[in-house]
Amino acid sequence: MLELQPKAQFSVVVPPKLLQEGYLVTFSSDWPSTHEAIREKTFRIDVCNQVPYDLSYILPTGAVGTIYRDVDFSNGGGAFQESIYPENQNSLFEVLLGFKPGNFISHWYVPAGKSVHALEYAQMYPDLTNVKRQYLGARQPKDSPYDDPRIKLYLVKDLAPLIMRLYVLPGVLFEKIVCGLTINKCLMRKIEAPTDDQLLKAKVIRYYDYLRW
Amino acid sequence: MPSSVIIALITAVAIAAERENAVVKAKSMTIDNQGGTTDRIIRIRDVFTTAAATGAVAAAQDEERYLATVIAGDIITLGEEDLKGVKCLGTMNVICNVADGALDRCYVTVGYEHE
Repeated sequence: MLELQPKAQFSVVVPPKLLQEGYLVTFSSDWPSTHEAIREKTFRIDVCNQVPYDLSYILPTGAVGTIYRDVDFSNGGGAFQESIYPENQNSLFEVLLGFKPGNFISHWYVPAGKSVHALEYAQMYPDLTNVKRQYLGARQPKDSPYDDPRIKLYLVKDLAPLIMRLYVLPGVLFEKIVCGLTINKCLMRKIEAPTDDQLLKAKVIRYYDYLRW
Repeated sequence: MPSSVIIALITAVAIAAERENAVVKAKSMTIDNQGGTTDRIIRIRDVFTTAAATGAVAAAQDEERYLATVIAGDIITLGEEDLKGVKCLGTMNVICNVADGALDRCYVTVGYEHE
């Protein structure tokens, strides 16, 4: 039998979740001068290496907001530091993070003590000691499942500490919180004079302050 | 699905070891007390250590997750529906309230999965 496949009218291309070799990234102008080496510069990703890594914590529940675990992604020997940050200036770590199901929430701070998800009214700030506002800006396991992670972080050398605050919700005595990370290690090569076309195609990586205005 | 057969003892017997990135869920359990001359209470216990946190120090815990009474000479089988929600954060242990004896013996079979 001879069959002639009709020409497809259109096709749907699902873009990859992670940066790939050959991709371009640009760091926006809102990066502070402490990151002068990457600020307003464009890079090509030369090499990628995905490193899976699971973190887990068994936490008790207590009186409202009294017991929580801060997970500090920055490097160091501190009790709560997980040392996920790059050590080289030409490295970019793109991290996908998902949770296994459980009775817990996470709040996000960068740098420590400054929430990423505050609203504009003075009191509308995530607060674990408040039964209502403990859910303000809280990311739950269903928001970023372990098998289909939706939380994405971009880490560069010497970035201010990024803190994930884990809190077990009332109703259970203990909970095991499992965070699945895929750390996409990207080796960057600077493009000295990017063309307009390259700038247009490059993924813009903004400083976290753009989330707070 | 892995499973483990143990003789019920008054000391804890490990069914499934703790895995850092998973919990242990009981999927099936058969308690065979046909060779027993004493009624028995079988317990699933969860042994783990909490992580250090703000407001709490790391501490060893031993929590009860399930309890079943099986009369002498009887055998009971529990399926996934019966054990729904039985989840161990650490090591899954089984413990009994009656000492084992050559003429008074109970076997416990537990099917489980790390999830």
